[in-house]
Amino acid sequence: MEEGMRIPKFEYFRPSLIEDASSLLYKYKTEAKLLAGGTDLFVKMKKKQVLPRVVISLKGIHKLDRIEWDDREGFKIGPLVTHEALVNHPMIREKFDFLSDACFKIGTRQVRNMGTLVGNLCNASPSSDASAPLLVLGAKLKLVHLYGERIIPLQEFFIGPFQTVLDPQEIVVEVQIPKLAPRTAGSYQYLHKASCVGETLVGAAVLLTMDPKGSTCQEARIGLSSVSSTPIRARAAERILKGKRLQEKIISEAAQVASDETQPRSRPWYRREMSRVLVERAILQTMEKIR
Amino acid sequence: MKKQLIELRVNGESCELAVEPQQTLLEVLREDLGLTGAKEACGTGECGACTVLIDGKPILSCLTLAIEAQGKEITTIEGLAKTGELHPLQKAFIQYGAIQCGYCTSGMILNAKSILDENPKPSRDEILKGLEGNLCRCTGYNKIIEAVMAASTGKD
Repeated sequence: MEEGMRIPKFEYFRPSLIEDASSLLYKYKTEAKLLAGGTDLFVKMKKKQVLPRVVISLKGIHKLDRIEWDDREGFKIGPLVTHEALVNHPMIREKFDFLSDACFKIGTRQVRNMGTLVGNLCNASPSSDASAPLLVLGAKLKLVHLYGERIIPLQEFFIGPFQTVLDPQEIVVEVQIPKLAPRTAGSYQYLHKASCVGETLVGAAVLLTMDPKGSTCQEARIGLSSVSSTPIRARAAERILKGKRLQEKIISEAAQVASDETQPRSRPWYRREMSRVLVERAILQTMEKIR
Repeated sequence: MKKQLIELRVNGESCELAVEPQQTLLEVLREDLGLTGAKEACGTGECGACTVLIDGKPILSCLTLAIEAQGKEITTIEGLAKTGELHPLQKAFIQYGAIQCGYCTSGMILNAKSILDENPKPSRDEILKGLEGNLCRCTGYNKIIEAVMAASTGKD
């Protein structure tokens, strides 16, 4: 095998407790990288973009591959949960079908079997598919380090392309997804490049809550990926929908405003135009699901 | 870096070997165990030529550490034929001319096996979606899909 395609050497640790992983991160700081699925880390290491002296595998830690449901708090998704596990999870398919749609879009069958949701969020690609649905679902991340923990909303996690607020000594131990209000549904619509990995060009997630009569929109959230330096919420567009009857004119206006809120760096015209189209489609599909 | 002794279960047999942590499962299969069916092409998880099954699921052996494959059931293309009899997918690939240069074939067949194990009667679209992570540069997709369809219906 060509030397260039080999993973550079590193020291390997496989702790069995989160605390031990935290201690290792405390000790090695920026020299260490955490390993979950490896589909991003090892590619970057082979390309010599990231060269950690130490790799700390999370796979020896019990229960990190769990998806837990609590009737009051909703879902808690551990850092070793793969995209495939989310695609196949019956309750996620039923309650958060648009999140499983987004996970099904990610990578390929092999990548979905290896790559994890948390790893994908930590990689912080602007085109991360799961991030748009998670943003509209109001997902939060639980981050722990040796001396404490904090919980932050996903929208505060991303700060730029491939950049997050995660400290090198912190571990994302959980994605928390609150349960849905009644008469709520969502949709994820996307377009992707025609390449082997099919990177997303525009991803649009919409979540709507209708009033008991089903005529007025009580809550509206719009999340977009791949159209700005980070995945974003289109808040001005959301305000247009909230409290309104969702008629054709309002829907097109909101979709146009959502498109104006994007800041695509490449193919800006196409991405803006498709943001408008996909937001509109996602709103219509969501209304269809609530009916 | 110090080598570590690991135990792998490959095609139903256990073997002990010394590896360095950065060695991928693909390197160990090919270079230490002489199982050269899994191939390296892109090395970055896009082409699927290195696909093997771990506990029945297709994964990319070029992005998996050998050290992390311990305690799991690894299946390579060499493990599919039983007592000299080719697996139905292997027979169908030959029958339908779904092999040209052969570089993608082991990954294609193993991924197809996992698709059929999960869903014995997939639609054409389900096969297409399932095999999206296996690239064939001889443009043999139609024959590959036909072969998988034939294996799924048990027809020769």
